[in-house]
Amino acid sequence: MKRLSMVQLLNSKVFLLSSVLQIGDSREITARSNVLAVQRQYELFYGGEGEVGFPVLTKPIPKLDVPASVRTYRLNESPVLSVRSVYLIAASTASVVHIGSTSTISGETRIKHIRQLADSIAPTPKTAIRITKDG
Amino acid sequence: MNYTVVNREIQIGDIYLTAVTSSSIFLIGDADIINLASAFDTPPESLIIGPFVPLTPKGS
Repeated sequence: MKRLSMVQLLNSKVFLLSSVLQIGDSREITARSNVLAVQRQYELFYGGEGEVGFPVLTKPIPKLDVPASVRTYRLNESPVLSVRSVYLIAASTASVVHIGSTSTISGETRIKHIRQLADSIAPTPKTAIRITKDG
Repeated sequence: MNYTVVNREIQIGDIYLTAVTSSSIFLIGDADIINLASAFDTPPESLIIGPFVPLTPKGS
C-alpha cells in the first residue's frame, strides 16, 4: 500500500514547456525533453537549422534494470507523508511536480548547447532589428 | 535477496525550491521504480568563434 500525501500549502509561480503539476496518485510517468539551445552574438536565424540529429539527441541511453531477484518489502508504520508547505518558483522542460504516489517514473532529457561568437576581425553581420541605447 | 524498508512517521515543515527542470521529478509520495537519465552536451567545439554559418543545414 502506498502512503497518503498531505500538503497544506503549495505556492508555485510558473509551469512551462510541458511540465506537469499532478495532485493525486498516478501510475506511470514518462517525461521526455529534447533541447537544442543556440546562442548567437547577433540575432540571426537561418531557417531549417538543427533538423539533422546531433549524437547527443539520438544516441540511446542505457537503462538500468531492476533485478527481479531483489524482493522489496515496505512497512509503512505511518500511513501519511505530511508537508506543511512547498514554495516553488518554476517547473520547466518536461518536469513533474507530483503530490501523491505513483508506480513507475521514466524520464529522459537531452540538451545540446551551441554558442556562436563573432570573430573580432569580421564585420558585424546585418541584423533585422537593432536595439540602441539612448544617449 | 530480501530488502525490507520501514517507513516511520514523516512530517516536513517548509520546502523552498527554486526550480525543477529537464524531466526531473519532485515527488511527495511513494514510487516503485524511478528511472531518470540525462545527456548534456557542451563540448569545446560548441563554442564557435568565426563566421556565422548555419549549423547542420537541412539535407546535409
